[in-house]
Amino acid sequence: MNCEVCQLKELEVEHFEIREVLRCILHTIVFHRALGLVRPKVIDLELFDITYVQCGDGELEKKIDEKIEQFISWVEKHPNKKSQVCISFYEVKNKHPSWFTNKTERLYWEQWYINLNVSQQQKVHSGKSHPSKIVVDPGGSTVDSAENSLEERSNRRAALESSLREVLFQIIKFVNEKKDHVPPISDGVVYFPYEITIPSSSDSAFGMDMIKRMLQTGHPTMLS
Amino acid sequence: MAPHSESGKLEQVVSQFLLKSLHIILDSRIPSLHPRDPTCDSRVRKSDKWFNLVLGDRPAALDNLNFWHRNLMDPMIIDIILVQQGTAISTSVGNLLSGSPGRTATETVIERWLVQFESPPRGIASQPSEGSAASYKKTYKKSIIFLRSLYLQTRLLPAYRIFKQLSSSSQPFNFDIIYKVSSFSEPFSRVEEEMMKEYRFVPIEALPGRLHVSVTYRPQLSEFNLQPLTTMPPKIISDYVGSPATDPLRYFPSSYKGDRAISFPSKVMHSPTSVPFQRPHSWTSGFHRSPTVYRTSQMSYDSPSPPMERIQNHRRPLHQRAPFYDECQLSPPFSPSVSPSTPTYLRNSESPRQTRASSETAPVTIPSPISGRSSRYISPNFSDPSKLSLPPLSPRSTRLDNSSNESPSGMRLIKKPEASRADLGSAGQKVTFVVLKDNKDDSGRFSGLLSSSDSPRVGFSRSSSKLSFQDDIDDCDFSCPFDVDDVDPPDSRIRYFSSQNVDWKRNLESTSMGRKSQDAAVGVLVHMLRTAPPLRQDSSCYSSRSLRAEVENDGVATTASGFFMPRRTSDALEELRSYREMKDLLLSKSGTRVLTREPP
Repeated sequence: MNCEVCQLKELEVEHFEIREVLRCILHTIVFHRALGLVRPKVIDLELFDITYVQCGDGELEKKIDEKIEQFISWVEKHPNKKSQVCISFYEVKNKHPSWFTNKTERLYWEQWYINLNVSQQQKVHSGKSHPSKIVVDPGGSTVDSAENSLEERSNRRAALESSLREVLFQIIKFVNEKKDHVPPISDGVVYFPYEITIPSSSDSAFGMDMIKRMLQTGHPTMLS
Repeated sequence: MAPHSESGKLEQVVSQFLLKSLHIILDSRIPSLHPRDPTCDSRVRKSDKWFNLVLGDRPAALDNLNFWHRNLMDPMIIDIILVQQGTAISTSVGNLLSGSPGRTATETVIERWLVQFESPPRGIASQPSEGSAASYKKTYKKSIIFLRSLYLQTRLLPAYRIFKQLSSSSQPFNFDIIYKVSSFSEPFSRVEEEMMKEYRFVPIEALPGRLHVSVTYRPQLSEFNLQPLTTMPPKIISDYVGSPATDPLRYFPSSYKGDRAISFPSKVMHSPTSVPFQRPHSWTSGFHRSPTVYRTSQMSYDSPSPPMERIQNHRRPLHQRAPFYDECQLSPPFSPSVSPSTPTYLRNSESPRQTRASSETAPVTIPSPISGRSSRYISPNFSDPSKLSLPPLSPRSTRLDNSSNESPSGMRLIKKPEASRADLGSAGQKVTFVVLKDNKDDSGRFSGLLSSSDSPRVGFSRSSSKLSFQDDIDDCDFSCPFDVDDVDPPDSRIRYFSSQNVDWKRNLESTSMGRKSQDAAVGVLVHMLRTAPPLRQDSSCYSSRSLRAEVENDGVATTASGFFMPRRTSDALEELRSYREMKDLLLSKSGTRVLTREPP
């Protein structure tokens, strides 16, 4: 079976936006791959004027949130870096045990790469002035600087919202274009087995995870 | 040739696909069709199991979309139409009564969805039968995936934002969203095409054919001035007969039916800042029982008088939906009869009850007996200002009529969820209910539609929910225990109440209450309070309703059924007793304004 890979458009996010962005994208992907009986739950993002859909499963939500928190912790240790979050769907196959392989084998049939470029910026609304942006001027130019920062932030936010929307459309397009590789739906099963992979603490280079997976044919290991 | 069972299964998958797609689209576009709190309903219906996507109750319209089963090849075109009022709201009672001109409503198709099962032309060899066993399963699986993406897509398009605005806010807006389902639609003009974008989903294999879904949509809706309407503070007309100023003991019942088909006007009228229990306007009707709920689309609204209530987004009671949808199957060849004035769009269903829905929202002061207007109540006098019911034909209504006549109905389902009244109408009367007006333009349209039907007024009343009219009649019979002799025969009363611009207050006034004592007026009001939300047996029905109270959707079904409760002499006697008690109670008070309160 082919493993379809989808590289989503890179998003430039700030630290405090990571959670919402990742939740939106991960839940959207899982929703499209939860082919069992689901009761969709519509969620409005707080930071953006975007609505996405969850499966309405509390356990799933919890798992995804846990992964997101791990990712955020990693980002805090590796600021201002590009990173990837990968969500993979696989089938479990039984295999004869041997010295080097487990009894069960995971056959990945789909992988999604969420590319994030996390930037750490000073929060303008915190009231603290950014040293690089403040120009001391008795005439009150600090106000202008703050306004400029706000405007920049607003523009950046709008751009991110537009990009996030594009990513969602990208997901829709991908799931509709490629359907043949999706395994049959088992009765009583809502989700296909999946795993969410985040950069490990030892991997700080961009794309390391991807390279590792490319080298590991059909047996990507959990790196985190 | 594929085995019959396999092809039958494929056909079933395709037809359910069409229905599911329609459900998904309407669920995210028409507020009244969207469940208030989908999470609270944990039931999984049979329809939910299709494609493993739980959407909740299917709108009645979908249940009646059986004509698509007849010919799956016909495309299903779903137009999402933005209706916007163009003029300022008139605050003058006089203007409202006369149906102030100048209101224009523009309708713009902001989205057009096309869902079609395309089969290969005849002569082309179909897939071998041995593959067909698995083909419908593949189709089914792919449909599941597709419908999930459709569910998300509908929430990413611009129209979803305005849907959210209408759904989430209790404020009235200057726009509304309606829809039209048909198998044929007029193509967009070049100008319109240039303003729209198209998105085509990847076709879904459904051997021997394919399922195509596409949407043409307006990427920008900012050009429309979509905004909440400024709430008009209720105006107290001091010299208005029966106003609290003249008779503090008289008061208007609040929304006395549980189903508040709270009309747009009423909502606006009862702004949060307005004094509770002040309802100086006569259209607050105690006779008016709207079985359905609420949330009219807060569109056009005239503050002083809601001649008709626009039930844009009302949620029609379940038992009303089917009939309505039958009404909707107007266009041949799927409907046996077509009204000559079949509207293109079913919008707001008109109901006199809804016209009075405004009264249902807020407690009001007891109106003083009206002497001069009793005749209005007694004999439907459509020549007086209250004959908003039948405003003159507006060009709009003419246009609608023309459009409805010109367009091949093919498979036209004009559906507006709130056209609950329409559903209940007889086949020949469908047209009349379609548009609920709450302003001049609507009234014009309505009148045009009415005039095109055989006996509009009567027809309308007949076609209106039996609930309302039944209750109206009953209410009329017993609302004024002292003026029974003066009450018109039910028919005439029905006609009167069926008028779009029923002015409840005038009705009340015109009932010979004017000639009755204050006590009678009190009694009437008390009766109205007591008869409010028919199915609600508890007295809390009469408790003050917030001006912004929203109709509880879950109350619709139960409320609706209460309309059918027959009234007997014993009921009347009981009420009479209650009147006396109330009278005593009220008289014991010091002549202050009687505010809405719970009946003893």
